[in-house]
Amino acid sequence: MDTQLTNILQVDDLNVFYDSFQAVKDVSFHVKQGEIFGLLGPNGAGKTSTLSAVEGLIKQQSGTVTVAGYDTLKHPLHAKAAMGVQLQATSFQPELNVSEILELYASLYGLDLTREKLQKLLKEINLAEAENKRFGQLSGGQQQRVSLAITTIHDPKLVLLDEPTSGLDPQSRRRLWSRIDAIREKGHGVVLTTHSMEEAEAVCDRISIIDHGRIIETDTPQALIDKHRDDLAVIAVSRRGKVTLEDVFIALTGLDIRG
Amino acid sequence: MNQMEIAIPKTSAVMKALLKADYTTLWRNRRAVILVILVPMIIVFSWKGFVRIAGGAFVLSNAITLGLVAIGLMGYTNSIARDRDKGVFQRLRVTPLPLWAIMASRLLVQLSVIMILTLVVFISGYQFDHISMPLAGYVVTLLTSIIGGAVYLALGQAIVGRIQNAETVNSTSRLIYFAFIMVGIFGEAISVAEPEMKWLGSIVTWTPYGTVKDILAGSLELSKWTSHTTQALLLTIGYTIVFATLGIKWFKWSTK
Repeated sequence: MDTQLTNILQVDDLNVFYDSFQAVKDVSFHVKQGEIFGLLGPNGAGKTSTLSAVEGLIKQQSGTVTVAGYDTLKHPLHAKAAMGVQLQATSFQPELNVSEILELYASLYGLDLTREKLQKLLKEINLAEAENKRFGQLSGGQQQRVSLAITTIHDPKLVLLDEPTSGLDPQSRRRLWSRIDAIREKGHGVVLTTHSMEEAEAVCDRISIIDHGRIIETDTPQALIDKHRDDLAVIAVSRRGKVTLEDVFIALTGLDIRG
Repeated sequence: MNQMEIAIPKTSAVMKALLKADYTTLWRNRRAVILVILVPMIIVFSWKGFVRIAGGAFVLSNAITLGLVAIGLMGYTNSIARDRDKGVFQRLRVTPLPLWAIMASRLLVQLSVIMILTLVVFISGYQFDHISMPLAGYVVTLLTSIIGGAVYLALGQAIVGRIQNAETVNSTSRLIYFAFIMVGIFGEAISVAEPEMKWLGSIVTWTPYGTVKDILAGSLELSKWTSHTTQALLLTIGYTIVFATLGIKWFKWSTK
């Protein structure tokens, strides 16, 4: 198969600055169709800045981002139409209820959400009873389900999830993992950022560890563990004699607490 | 990488969806809209005495101007600041819609409020103060109220562009609103009531309050449209361009 076709996201030599501060330094990675790719890093490492550049929320100073074959700077609307995005902190017009929010976002992707389709969607996300509730009246788990439903409402080729499980209880987290798996099974690509090494190991096919704006390592979770298993720094931080992805992550990014 | 086939929605469909959402938001916030319209109605009601001294156009134009200030500085500015603070714009920005459509929809909704305000002032003027203007005056004033309203929407844009924090935007816009009320109610009224205070009126006349009020008064009584009114119109457009340019230049979609 043509490898160029299988890459749904291609990021090359990406550099992002906030005034004189460089948040992302020469970052390159790709995501294939049907792949869940994790972007891991401590706070302030450059994960969200990298995703924001892909999403078109910030403009990179150099480098290219290509989504479904569309350069995000040259064809921003096509690239955005190919993406579904769940932001870290997101909100909708507080005056609108769940149905109205779903209808609005469906229309923004050019979809006609009929009453039947809306009911089906609400049933799928277990929110049939809450369709007339405002977004702010929903629980954290319900808000997250609405947010993910909007992210995937147009069946996007690429789904970007910025810390999607933060603040969720274990049941909601497991359900979200299943939904992410379902997206992969459709052959779509997924990029997620997370602080949870357990999540990265359980969900991601490949991960990149990013720190100080640079990608340090990219591989499958197990390959990274195997590669660094015998590093002295990894052994020093490992607990109970078992090396985990978290040990590798801490050894590579240091023990200092960030922002 | 080969390009996949991706359909992007029509701009007209996107605008329709945004307008539907923004009008729903406006409807759910109708109490705030009523409060904005209430101030001009109070002016019309309480300035009955000025109708005989300065004329009906004077009262109506002042009432509309104060309403326009409230729409621009209290309604539009604070809703933009709040939605930016909550991340509403960021969520919209990751969808395939042109960025101008987000603001265009918001502005169109505000223009509707301006039209409603102007009509309410006309009706209250007729009901409370028996002010009756030529039909052409009413029609032209509906159009000039949009030009006048644009100044305060642009000023609001400049405020929300310059200041990032939603609460600071709120307090600043209130302060400026209060300043305009002072200029409008006291500056104008004192200069009309006290002949020796006419100098105050000549200062007020070239402020954004004064120019908007003058073009509205000139529109209501087209026979009294003078070169001074034309200058006020040009200055109003000038203020709008300056404030809008600054507002667009300074505006950031996110507070982070």
